[in-house]
Amino acid sequence: MEKVDMAQAVIEAAKYIGAGIAMGFGAIGPAIGEGNIGASAMEAMARQPEMGGTLITRMLLAMAVTESTGLYSLLVALILLFII
Amino acid sequence: MKENKDVKNRKITFTRGEKIFLGIFVLIYIIVGIFNMKTIEPLTNVGERWIITLPWGEGLLNRVNPMTLIMSWSIVLALIILAYKVGKNFKIIPNRIQLFMESILEFIYSTVEDSTSKKELVKPIFVIAATLFLFVVVCNIISGFPGIQVVPTDSGIKISLFEDTWYTPTSDINTNATYAVMVLIISHVFAIKVKGFGRWLKGFFEPNPIMFPMNLIGEIAKPISHSLRLFGNIAGGGILVLILSYMAKYMFIPVVLWGFFGLFVGIIQALVYSMLAIAYISAQIED
Repeated sequence: MEKVDMAQAVIEAAKYIGAGIAMGFGAIGPAIGEGNIGASAMEAMARQPEMGGTLITRMLLAMAVTESTGLYSLLVALILLFII
Repeated sequence: MKENKDVKNRKITFTRGEKIFLGIFVLIYIIVGIFNMKTIEPLTNVGERWIITLPWGEGLLNRVNPMTLIMSWSIVLALIILAYKVGKNFKIIPNRIQLFMESILEFIYSTVEDSTSKKELVKPIFVIAATLFLFVVVCNIISGFPGIQVVPTDSGIKISLFEDTWYTPTSDINTNATYAVMVLIISHVFAIKVKGFGRWLKGFFEPNPIMFPMNLIGEIAKPISHSLRLFGNIAGGGILVLILSYMAKYMFIPVVLWGFFGLFVGIIQALVYSMLAIAYISAQIED
């Protein structure tokens, strides 16, 4: 291993810690949101089973929109890891 | 008492052929495990891509990802051949493959019809969404089957035949970002066509002129989340399977995981990708 000075080592360590924190905390919100969407869709499907097909496509679309904040944190984590 | 007897009698029985098959299976399992144990090596170059640097151009413009190009064009060619084969003998009484294609396209068509209020734009949006769906779903499904993968090493490249899954174009962010940006441009072109230039421009200053930066950022954020969703799912799934199968090297776990990440997640994400394209386009052309 080549030798690096202290400042560089701190930057390297901070990159990985930052990426981990960004991804870990960024995953909480979408997880809660998707859980809520799934629970509501299940309730609706139990009440009206004949609406199942429509509800599943709508549920997937809503989940995809909810996921986007998690994806922004993925973007930040990737930028921290590979670009900076 | 009687129940106890039933439980006692319920022994697992094999026929002769099954016993021979299981014996051979276990033998091959053990032999492959012992054979693999000798060639154990640290996992390197995870998620790396084979990149060629062109002699001309600068910065980002002189880097080419050859596997993405090759696989994309092969999938496009395969889809064209399939479409030609299905379209050439189109019958009233369909055979299996025609029925399959018809059901897929009919599903997308009904989705577009439900979400679009302009009747004259149903067909163009359907063409875009169906093209995206067919391409992305084939790309995702081949990431669930073992095939040809090219990995860069320290000395050149290593072509692994049927050790890893097929190289998937959608696990490369460039493919996804290209189609997401195309969907954004198409949605704005349709909006200008339907609403006229003035009303399209007015849409950016909608509730209040102060909101203009928000609307602009909202539009720019669309292709980012649209492309990263597919990229994160497919590339993340691939890397996860690679690491898990490295940790459990002597078991046949990866087959199940490939099935999950390739077929289940892949089909759902392809559906989500094309549904979001429909939603973005039809949200722009609404008044």
